[in-house]
Amino acid sequence: MWTAGIFYSCWLDLFNFLIYGYPIVKNTYSLVCHQDPAKLINFSCGNSFVCARCLGIYTGLLINSFLHIFHEIKLKKDFRLVLLATVPMFVDVVSVAAGIYDYSKTIAFITGLLFGSILFLYLYNGLQNLIIEIFKR
Amino acid sequence: MKKYLPSFISGFGAGVLHIVPVAKSLACCLIVPLASFTALILDRRANPTVEKISMKKGALVGLFTGLYAALFGTVFDLFITLVTKNNDIVAMMPELQKMISAFPLSDAMRTEVLNLFESVRNDIIQYGFSPLYTFSIIINNTVVNSIVGTLGGLIGAQIINQRLNNRNEY
Repeated sequence: MWTAGIFYSCWLDLFNFLIYGYPIVKNTYSLVCHQDPAKLINFSCGNSFVCARCLGIYTGLLINSFLHIFHEIKLKKDFRLVLLATVPMFVDVVSVAAGIYDYSKTIAFITGLLFGSILFLYLYNGLQNLIIEIFKR
Repeated sequence: MKKYLPSFISGFGAGVLHIVPVAKSLACCLIVPLASFTALILDRRANPTVEKISMKKGALVGLFTGLYAALFGTVFDLFITLVTKNNDIVAMMPELQKMISAFPLSDAMRTEVLNLFESVRNDIIQYGFSPLYTFSIIINNTVVNSIVGTLGGLIGAQIINQRLNNRNEY
């Protein structure tokens, strides 16, 4: 649902009444993304509500959650995994900020996708352990 | 109070960063999760232990960080709106008007939507305050930041525990 909300502008074509919620939903996504117009993904129906990198992160989370239904991927007990996933994103953010190269939506999306995919493993494991801890009592 | 101090400090930091455009464009969607992670690290510094962080504690610290971030973020946002009489909603109006005109809506609906948005915009421009806007950001900030904060706390606790595992192995 959260990922679907990113494409709110496209849903407006199908459900006109959603126009009432447009500023509120856009404002909601502004809490989790800077929404810089130059970094948003453009569709024929409008712009996404989050930038390419955030869209990559949420897509990574979504894809991995679907994959998890069919095949459970165990989280390795090594925190370097999250570092490995963060490095490309961090390098991209720093390089763009330092002006080494121009912002690329594709690179931002891919680095976000990698980070989001790994993040899901931690999230899933965390939720699983939380449920176990709650029901242990 | 000491128990919630790390969440308070990190939540305050996240609330401030939410309104700083440069910081927001760099950290993007990771501000509140990073604040939860920082709160867990601060909590560990304040209460040194070799035990792993329970997921329940991670989630609670994250939740409180998110709630503090929502509180400070909302207060700062409302204060800036009050002082400048301008905000995202006012800036969004021309785009919104263009969009509404382009949509195949009935005349009655179009007028109703435009009147609603115009009234919010006029309130902000005239008084720097709109009840509808205030209500929406309180709900938005509280719900979104508490969820994102809790998830950040869960992920942060995993990372800290794994680092502990790695240290114990070597």
